[in-house]
Amino acid sequence: MPDIRISDPTLRDGNHAVAHQLTAAQIARYAAAAEEAGISIVEVGHGNGIGASSLQVGLSREDDATMLRAARAALSHSSLGVHCIPGFATINKDLRPALDLGVDVVRVASHCTEADITQRHIGYVCQRGKEAIGVLMMSHMAPVEVLLEEAAKMRAYGAEAVILMDSAGAMLPQDVTERVGCLARGLDIPVGFHAHNNLGMAVANSIAAVQAGATILDGTARGFGAGAGNTQLEVMVAVLEKMGFSTGADLYKVLDLGDLAEREIIPVLPTIKSISVVSGLAGVFSAFAKHVERISKQFQVDPRDVFFELGRRRIVAGQEDIILEVAQQLANGGAGTAEGGRQAAERKRAA
Amino acid sequence: MNAALRKMIRQDCSRVLGQRPAAFQALEGGVLLITGGTGFMGTWLAEMIAYLNDHHQLGVRLLLLSDRASLFAQRAPQLASRKDIQLIERDVLNLVELPEQVTWIIHAAANPDSRNHATDPLATLRVATRGTDALLGAALRLPNLHKILHVSSGLIYGSQPVEIPAIAESFAGGLDCAAPSQAYAEGKRAAEALCAAYRTQFRLPIVTVRPFAFLGPYQLLDRPWAANAFICDALRGGPIRIQGDGQSVRSYMYPADMALWILTILARGAAGTAYNLGSPEGVTLMDLAERIVSLLPQPVKIVTRMLGLGAPRPNRLVPDISLARETLGLEIATDLDAAIRLALPWYRAVASQER
Repeated sequence: MPDIRISDPTLRDGNHAVAHQLTAAQIARYAAAAEEAGISIVEVGHGNGIGASSLQVGLSREDDATMLRAARAALSHSSLGVHCIPGFATINKDLRPALDLGVDVVRVASHCTEADITQRHIGYVCQRGKEAIGVLMMSHMAPVEVLLEEAAKMRAYGAEAVILMDSAGAMLPQDVTERVGCLARGLDIPVGFHAHNNLGMAVANSIAAVQAGATILDGTARGFGAGAGNTQLEVMVAVLEKMGFSTGADLYKVLDLGDLAEREIIPVLPTIKSISVVSGLAGVFSAFAKHVERISKQFQVDPRDVFFELGRRRIVAGQEDIILEVAQQLANGGAGTAEGGRQAAERKRAA
Repeated sequence: MNAALRKMIRQDCSRVLGQRPAAFQALEGGVLLITGGTGFMGTWLAEMIAYLNDHHQLGVRLLLLSDRASLFAQRAPQLASRKDIQLIERDVLNLVELPEQVTWIIHAAANPDSRNHATDPLATLRVATRGTDALLGAALRLPNLHKILHVSSGLIYGSQPVEIPAIAESFAGGLDCAAPSQAYAEGKRAAEALCAAYRTQFRLPIVTVRPFAFLGPYQLLDRPWAANAFICDALRGGPIRIQGDGQSVRSYMYPADMALWILTILARGAAGTAYNLGSPEGVTLMDLAERIVSLLPQPVKIVTRMLGLGAPRPNRLVPDISLARETLGLEIATDLDAAIRLALPWYRAVASQER
């Protein structure tokens, strides 16, 4: 058993970066190379997980079944994983068919204070004899004690591991050490970490997670993911090797995997754009970036103001409709309230 | 449930009873109310009473009180349609009055599913404390009450220390009352304290059982117990997935034994005493999985899964049952291998219905 289990959401988080337009052929090619590289879990699907394709968060080019079939055919040793947010995904419409198509691992996710909503989904996955992993998204938004309680709920529901997601790329290494360390000491199941690179901290944060006790790490080829992207898989595996951790992955083939992704599935390599820095500072979900840019343009407002206002309102994934409201209010002479407008301006200056 | 399974359960009742029906003489002709009467424990007690009434003329009338009584008619129509069983649909939290002819009570209302404790610790605590208080308050007004059996939990002992092979009733234990996940165990401790208070203040005759783990028919397949999960994994063709290295130790009592023990403790147990209710046969989870596999026609793989750094090792939960053995002559009639063998057809039938 390797020291660190590598989970690769390139074909899921990366889908955010291309407005969910990955094709079945791209999925098949990448999954086959990931299998060859010895990646433990290959996560596939719409950026927001199964059942999420919609006008609000973006329509997938391929439906869930097509994406899963393409990946399934390419994987035998690696596990096929999906992201599953209850609400987007329902058990009968989305989860049951996904498991019928051969999904091995379901990462059932909720906002970091709302683990209760995962009970039925995790329970169903366990009942089907598959691996359920709990995911606490936007984990920078809750204090460590709350995160531990929420993770313990997922454990009680049957999760075999819990992943903390820094969905906004807002954490610094000490934040990760504190959070992951608390969960690793307080839970009897493995803890994992999923980073975003808004503040350029993704690799450092992933390593901080391992040093604090995480045994599952997420990384994507070239960092292909929402906003500023994720931890770059190739770098992460290399650093882990340098530090003496086994990952079960073949470094050369992981490097080849990155090259393949750049050549065949990534139209624009992830960079830390100004908007991503702001999103990380504001602590707003990385996948909001494209919506914020588009809507800000439509209302002729500064997307950075929109991000800071969204952060002030503590908006979370699933509340994408508020972007429109904030942009409209800013366009009408300030944020929703005079106070909000002032705070947005102050944050902008402070930043 | 098909006829073969019904017959099997009847045979279970007959087998564990052996020459013991006389032990229940005190119950003869009585009216037994069971709260949480349509759950796993209540259903087995109903099976046993029905068997005793049919074959040993015990003449007990059974009142099964539950907030989901109507579901019972669908799940166990052979019991729900009997003349000696009456269903009362009521939430134990709202109990004010009990039928005055009640002479015996088994208070089993609780939801032992740890997933629900995590989601709604308040409801868990309410059922244990307010529900028990409501029941005991109503019981005070019964003119002919002989005894109440309160169903507590083996979890009230907290973690079993490594150096103790089996937990005796005298073990003081310890729980973290600030941990929401322990709401069930804390609630059950508080309920035991309530029972003690009613007993000392109003002389209510209350005896307590502390159940551990069970394996057998009427278990709901989706319940998150290790044995349940292993059998479901195995019947699906495997692999059986063990969280950790499989060296944690548990014990499992067959539910026909459970029903016999509860009725014996109700009839003959000393008021004010708590009895462990479970099997003393400790088994590692790996051994349990291997025993399940050995009873299947096809080979099934067993895999171990990573544990986290915070996992307590080793982890053990086994009761010492000397008290029930020595004072009431109770024994385990169904060992673990027999329990698995008897449980498999039931799990197989239910799993095939659910597919």
